[in-house]
Amino acid sequence: MAADGALLTLRDVTIGFGGVTALDAVGFDVQPGQILGLIGPNGAGKTTLFNCITRIYQPNSGDIRWQGEDLLRVPAHHLPKLGIARTFQNLALFGGMSVFDNTMSGGSSQARIGATSGLVGWPPSRSRTKKLRAKAWELLERLDLVALADAPAAGLPFGTLKRVELARALMAEPKLLLLDEPAGGLTHSEVKALGELIVSLRDDYGFAALLVEHHMGLVLGISDHVVALDFGNKIFEGSPEQVKHDPAVIAAYLGRAA
Amino acid sequence: MTTIDDTAAPSTAKPGARPGGKPKGPRFLVVQGTLPYRGLQLGAVLLVALLLLWASGLPAFRMGQITNVFIIAIAIAGLNLVTGYTGLLSIGHSAFFGLGAYTTGILIVKYEFAPLSTIPVAIGLCFVLGLLVGLPSLRIHGLYLALVTLAVAVSFPEIVRRAEELTGGAAGMVVRSRFLAPPEWTGLVRAERGIWMFWFSAAVLAVVMLLCRNLVRSRFGIAMRATRDNEIAAAANGISVARTKIVAFGISGAITGLAGSLFTMYMGALSPDGSFTLLKSIEFITGLVLGGVATQIGPLVGAFAVVFLPYLTASYTEGPLAGVVFGIVLIVIVFLMPEGIVGRVGILARKVVHIVPADHPRLGRADREGPPEPARAEQ
Repeated sequence: MAADGALLTLRDVTIGFGGVTALDAVGFDVQPGQILGLIGPNGAGKTTLFNCITRIYQPNSGDIRWQGEDLLRVPAHHLPKLGIARTFQNLALFGGMSVFDNTMSGGSSQARIGATSGLVGWPPSRSRTKKLRAKAWELLERLDLVALADAPAAGLPFGTLKRVELARALMAEPKLLLLDEPAGGLTHSEVKALGELIVSLRDDYGFAALLVEHHMGLVLGISDHVVALDFGNKIFEGSPEQVKHDPAVIAAYLGRAA
Repeated sequence: MTTIDDTAAPSTAKPGARPGGKPKGPRFLVVQGTLPYRGLQLGAVLLVALLLLWASGLPAFRMGQITNVFIIAIAIAGLNLVTGYTGLLSIGHSAFFGLGAYTTGILIVKYEFAPLSTIPVAIGLCFVLGLLVGLPSLRIHGLYLALVTLAVAVSFPEIVRRAEELTGGAAGMVVRSRFLAPPEWTGLVRAERGIWMFWFSAAVLAVVMLLCRNLVRSRFGIAMRATRDNEIAAAANGISVARTKIVAFGISGAITGLAGSLFTMYMGALSPDGSFTLLKSIEFITGLVLGGVATQIGPLVGAFAVVFLPYLTASYTEGPLAGVVFGIVLIVIVFLMPEGIVGRVGILARKVVHIVPADHPRLGRADREGPPEPARAEQ
């Protein structure tokens, strides 16, 4: 796969914790507009890889580039500005804030946040806020959350909160959306609906998505491209059709003796 | 748990009757910026003005107490920014209060500044101290950070005692009343300092509350609350957690320092063990919790509570028992209203009046809530 035009490029990413090598020279590309499914059994290193991209872990060696720029030199809070937004495995919403304010917080990278201009209500800063508010309302409409806009996030149903997280992430106008096990904790029908939602949002907003997921049905259903990890090694890369028949992936999931 | 399904088929969704959402009671809908909203705002301003006029006619002693309430309210409003909205517990705000007070005192006594012109200096110094105290918050969290602020609170009176040349040391410092006379343009004479400080404190409090309201509603306010609720998620959404915490601490310190500056003008006498010990910090925190953490009017209500509740309990009981009764009252209030007085009232008020932002998308289609049509069909 050519690196030209790729949004995100990983090369030889290696990280260990103590004596355990969590990732061993993993590399792949994410292309614009592509939904890439990252699969693997428990402990394969999916979340570790995710945390390397989101700048929570620093790899021991290897290269992570964003449109050619060295991502390993960028602090975590600059990622949205570059066009990288994420959702969290077990939800990380701001419980004390309303659904609307949660969504607005996703726009933090879109314009300067001035404390002084906030204090005095400086008009240019107000007009920027106004634009962001309009965008937040648009996303809440799109995700069917308008009726809940002023409800505090704490206490809403899990499936609803997943949509709030999506709205918040989309406020950053991401080119790449990182989804950490979005199907976790959802029922079968909710997972199906979530998959359709992700695809239709991708079609509307044109982002690429890196989907770290356990739920094979979801990954195979919506991914354009699949990467499989096992014990920190990349064991497969190809289409969702191929992965179903790949002996290495089947062995990783079902055990070698099978 | 059929919420995701609703999304998949928005045309069959019924957003008015969300799962888990209680049937909506009778609510008055007030849209921001419209005539009824402006009317409510104007009514509130008029009510406050009338109350102030009434209070200014009270005996000098009562008026002085209320001035004290205003000053404490400003200090708590500062604390509210960092502890209420940014979630960093500070028990060091007595030091900001003290630094503001001593800055004004020293500048008037030693350098013959006019009282009002000391205010910017006090604010500036306390802002810088706030930034410095905020620095450790990048590394340490929760109770450990509170310990750092505790150290600041404990060391402040000690430093004042040591710096005898400047502060008068343990003996304290007296600002002569001729220095504290009301400015000439007010037309008030020196003996009317009480009236001057009453109105001046009220005006400063009003400005501070307005600024705080602007700030917490701004995007910086969202960044503060996001930092409080979840730092990792805040950073992942592009919020500089470090900058947010430090700047919040700076602004918070500056506002509490401003309160200290007013305190000097009000009291005319300062001593390190009087109003700038750890107890003062506790008083601020108590007021904040009673009034309502992370509410806009909570600091004012809380200040009234911490100033007047002890008097009230003392008037019904005698001697040390008053302290016990005060403690019991505190426990009862916190038990019944864990969200504070203003927080509780806010929850009740929201059941009656629902304030809708002017840019709410459903407003264009109908005046009433209960969205008349399902979410706009996409694609």
